[in-house]
Amino acid sequence: MKLFPPDIHAYTQVTSTGATAAARPDEEVPDTRSPLRFVLWLLWQQKGLIAITTILISVWWLPGSLNPRILTMVIDQGIIAGNWSVTWRWTLVMVAIIVVGVAANTAASNISVSSWLVSMFRVTKLVARKVTQMSHVVTRRVPAGEMLSVASSDADAFGAIAESFGRVLAAFLSFLLVSVIVLREHVMLGLVMLIATPLIVILTTPALRPLQRAQMVERERSSKLTGMAVDIVSGLRILRGVGGERTFGDNYARQSQSVRQAGVRTGSWWAVVDAMGTVTNGALLVGLTWLGLREVQLGHLTIGEMVGFFGYAMFLQRPVQTFFDAFQKWTASLVSAEKTIGLLSQEPPWPAQSSAAVVAEGQLIDHPSGFVADPGQLTIIVSAVPDDSAALADRLGRYLPADIERVDLGVSRELKGSAEKQEWQKRAAARAQQVRQDETLAAGDWGVTLDGVDIAQIPLPEVRRRIQVSDAGAVVFAGTLQSLIDPLHSHSRDQAEQALWAASAEDVWDAFADGWQGRIDERGRGLSGGQRQRMVLARSLLLDPEVLVLVEPTSAVDAHTEARIAERLPDFRSGRTTIMTTVSPLWLRQADAIAFLVDGQVLASGSHADLMANCPPYRAVVVRDDSQATAGGGDAASASPTAADSTADHLAGERR
Amino acid sequence: MNQQELVQGDALFEGSAQTWVDGPDQADALPQELLAAPALRFWPLLKGFTSRHRRRASLAAAGYQASRHPKRGLPIAENSTVSRFIGRMIKERHWLAFGLIVANCLAAITGAIMPQLLGSMIDRVAAGHSGDQLMAWVTGLCAVVLGLMLVQGILTFLARRLAAIFGQGMVAAGREYVIRAVLKLPLSKVETASTGDLVTRVTRDVGNMGAMVRWAMPTFVIGVVSLVVTLIGIFVNSWWLALPLVLTLAVMTWAVRDYLRVAPAGYITEGAAYSRLNTSLTETVEGARSVEALGLGRRRLDLTDNDIESASQMERYTMALRAKLFTWQGLAGQLPMAAVAIMGFIGYSQGWVTLGQITAATVYLQQMNGPIDRIIMTVNQMQIGVSSTSRLLGIAAVPADRQTSDQRPADQHLVGRDLTFAYRPGRDVLHDVSLDLRPGERLAVVGPSGSGKSTLGRLLAGINAPRQGVVEVGGVDVMTLPLQQLRTEVALVTQEHHVFVGTIRDNVILAREDATSDEAVWQALTAVEADGWVSRMPDGLDTMIGSGRTALTPGQAQQVALARLVIADPHTLVLDEATSLIDPTTAREVEGSMSSLLGGRTVVAIAHRLHTAHDADRIAVVIDGRIAELGSHDELLALGGEYAKLWMAWTS
Repeated sequence: MKLFPPDIHAYTQVTSTGATAAARPDEEVPDTRSPLRFVLWLLWQQKGLIAITTILISVWWLPGSLNPRILTMVIDQGIIAGNWSVTWRWTLVMVAIIVVGVAANTAASNISVSSWLVSMFRVTKLVARKVTQMSHVVTRRVPAGEMLSVASSDADAFGAIAESFGRVLAAFLSFLLVSVIVLREHVMLGLVMLIATPLIVILTTPALRPLQRAQMVERERSSKLTGMAVDIVSGLRILRGVGGERTFGDNYARQSQSVRQAGVRTGSWWAVVDAMGTVTNGALLVGLTWLGLREVQLGHLTIGEMVGFFGYAMFLQRPVQTFFDAFQKWTASLVSAEKTIGLLSQEPPWPAQSSAAVVAEGQLIDHPSGFVADPGQLTIIVSAVPDDSAALADRLGRYLPADIERVDLGVSRELKGSAEKQEWQKRAAARAQQVRQDETLAAGDWGVTLDGVDIAQIPLPEVRRRIQVSDAGAVVFAGTLQSLIDPLHSHSRDQAEQALWAASAEDVWDAFADGWQGRIDERGRGLSGGQRQRMVLARSLLLDPEVLVLVEPTSAVDAHTEARIAERLPDFRSGRTTIMTTVSPLWLRQADAIAFLVDGQVLASGSHADLMANCPPYRAVVVRDDSQATAGGGDAASASPTAADSTADHLAGERR
Repeated sequence: MNQQELVQGDALFEGSAQTWVDGPDQADALPQELLAAPALRFWPLLKGFTSRHRRRASLAAAGYQASRHPKRGLPIAENSTVSRFIGRMIKERHWLAFGLIVANCLAAITGAIMPQLLGSMIDRVAAGHSGDQLMAWVTGLCAVVLGLMLVQGILTFLARRLAAIFGQGMVAAGREYVIRAVLKLPLSKVETASTGDLVTRVTRDVGNMGAMVRWAMPTFVIGVVSLVVTLIGIFVNSWWLALPLVLTLAVMTWAVRDYLRVAPAGYITEGAAYSRLNTSLTETVEGARSVEALGLGRRRLDLTDNDIESASQMERYTMALRAKLFTWQGLAGQLPMAAVAIMGFIGYSQGWVTLGQITAATVYLQQMNGPIDRIIMTVNQMQIGVSSTSRLLGIAAVPADRQTSDQRPADQHLVGRDLTFAYRPGRDVLHDVSLDLRPGERLAVVGPSGSGKSTLGRLLAGINAPRQGVVEVGGVDVMTLPLQQLRTEVALVTQEHHVFVGTIRDNVILAREDATSDEAVWQALTAVEADGWVSRMPDGLDTMIGSGRTALTPGQAQQVALARLVIADPHTLVLDEATSLIDPTTAREVEGSMSSLLGGRTVVAIAHRLHTAHDADRIAVVIDGRIAELGSHDELLALGGEYAKLWMAWTS
């Protein structure tokens, strides 16, 4: 009885290899071979709903298709003939038809909205599941905004086609029924009507094209306007702090006026369509009247029949209009389907594993760079080029490199015909290239060993559980403070407090009046960069993984607080393996071992004191931070201790 | 972790034990009753449905209340303010409004004459007239009707076009007013306001207001006019046949009012549910890497499913409301057709009505349903629009945070005296801090997070007013300076490298937008070493940059931000490192630009990095809202306090 939202099981079941497969029968997984197949698959999933919609809408339209006929009988045989019993009997039938029709209308509107929602939610859920299944792999390949637009606006387009599909079938049935009735009553009038009604709709289409063009221009300008509003709001701090309110207020007003003009143009075309509708409908009615009266006068038609024809003429516009609407929705849904399958057809690149290796705790070694982390120790990676350290951290956690170009799912709406087709093909080819590249990387040995076993041999979920990489882009999710720190509800309050304390987040705690139930906005808005960073750190600490890899965990934190964290964290992690990338001396003093990375290779390793004494390039990187010691750790900094330089220096140490 | 630290932790996290909840989140969970699949037997089904409907109604009411009384964020205007605002806007274009109504009336009247003429033709034919003469008369009348149709078509075009001009003009004026209000938000409010709240207001709420003004209001007028004219037509045609309509109107009015009483809350809550779904899905997609790393996949999917479930609940609620409305509307709208048959029989047999009148009545009845549909749809949209408009006007309702005076600073000397400040009442984050800046000096402020150093910076830059004490520049309270003046005295450098959509010139001249020559812009760009790449741009200063236009590298964006400050030319800069996070590569690129900006100015650097402090003329160590140590690097080292301790840790 629960029609929506649908339960979706595709893309969620995790197999032993870390890849995923459908949990339920094959039909759960969308058919992504072509846009048409996808839309048909989607409609097939809710065939029952569509069938019910068709029946209900046909019933709903019964009063429209039958009542004119009954009214004819009442007028001819009841009212004109003065026959009371015919009148009330047929009126009663009419009432019954109306009541049934209204009931069907109510039910049909509910069912067709349900049909819409089922389809829309199905696609939204599929996208969510696909993104979760592919996780970091897909966010490297497709811009986030594109995936989100599939989950919202394209999903909505599928809702629209699912909703209108049943309506189209019903319209077809009603049209047939009415055709039979009118042709049986009067062939000539019937033919005129059956030809004229579609003709009217076709006649208004020439005005529809400029209308659509005007609408597109308006939409484009209007979305640009919205973009400007968002732009102003996001930069409001600067506009109010530095100035520029007039310039950007005026820019907005100018664009607003150009939207207004486009809107008036659209409105005028609407007016044309409306006016043409009025005139053509009226002309049909007048024509019918003239023809009808002539027939009546010749005795070929009764007055009741003529009144009935008016009813049909008005009614027939509904199914015809429905056909045209549905046609547009169908085209739109095919475009959306092309985008959607671009996302849903992607599969995780990880190869299937024949057997899962059982691996104990042990040394973690990255063979390409020669990096070694001993179990239970705090090992720090130092590099003049932060991207090098971050890339090593990614490799340690079996993350594919971030440096590939993202490919959009859709193509510009301005493209038409063969140019559009070519663009679609170009996108598909670029995606295929991404897939090949990732699969090559993911196949075979990974180059990182844990206790002597390549981590490609370990199931991916286990790798994720045992080796946790907290990258610089780690996201703070909205919710309560408690759900932020302990998202899986897997730890006690005691442990959570200790993690918070180790990350020196006392001031964040104080910022919330409701303690653990304090609300954090999406992406940690409202927290400062340093606060966000310490929340992320506390969250990672609480998870307590066997190996924790932290990328620049305190880059946005002041020296006092950093010193405090550097003192507390080693205690918290004692006995566990911790790897960190940073160049801050406050951390380096705490390290059990340091690996100095140059050009992606470990050049030297040892303790901080060791390296400071014996490795000048290392000293250069650490002492004056990294701004003047460029890649390769060249010259020691030529210290020019002006405040200006040092400000730039400290900025260099910061990463978001 | 040892016992001693644990005790310390307990004392640090005040209220921890009271607010920790074991087990999964309850806050957002839906009532279990709503999630279970209902039984399939009739009575339990019906009973279950009504009780679930009541639950949904209370969810909707709660959602509506939450939207009207937000816990955080900007205020919401009263409904009376909204109606005054709309009234004023209509008044400003009263001629258009008048023309709109007149054109619509005329179009509707022309349309209403048609069934009358039709009826009279039928009467003639029914009366048994025949022959060529009759047909000639019919043809003539048909030609007249056709002519009327054309007139109606022209009038319809006119009416709709006027509606477009009226609505578009009004919505443009409305949104421009809103953006001006945003651009007037008090400085202290801007710093704390949630960007998300403002973004929703300038996007979704502006959209809702637009839909109301552009579409709903004119369509409502058209609907009412057509309905009234059709009703008049029906009564003029035959009062006898119009009698059943009285009942129809009564039922309709009741059903529509019943619907409108509860529907807006449902739709507003539904909209909120969808935007929650969007927000959490955005987080999941953008944070996919974190989701994977933390093993949150299942939880994020549950969250999405739960958001979809919430939206579904509201869909069910509004669906039920619509079902009720449609049922009454359908019955009240269509049953009169049957009534016309009965009344027609009686009337015809008594000689009160003619066949023509009966025919005309049936045509009128069918013409009536369109306007009624329109009115219902638009009234609903208008209620949503009013609620959005009240959120928009709320932006203008934020009180100003400063009153300007005519006093102007005598010199560039910036002093803070006895500064006390609290974000939350009763929780001072600064206590009686005094600081005398020597013009031209570089002062570094260091201290642990939460010690109040950033707050101190904001007070010195005149962004927030201290609860007690005063910040003066050249003997004048900074909070009494007009913003235009303040910006040229002292600036808070946040280094958010936001690039606005606009030309490079637009992006640079911010502080002195009224009096900046191209030459000055080039000078500023040269000062920050950006002249090279700007001159290579296709349109030079007129090159459009910002999102969706020519993209700048982070370094270039940073240089643009610095050039803005060169144009503003304040004598004192407050640099807050906490908000000036840029990546190392960018930092290297703008190093030179930065130093040329700082040259010759008083600089207060809220420092994260110790060598910033080391290189400064003086260092202030802020701890627990007080300046604990103040002096040069060497003096503080000699003092052997907090700073010395930290320095040792850094350098050893």
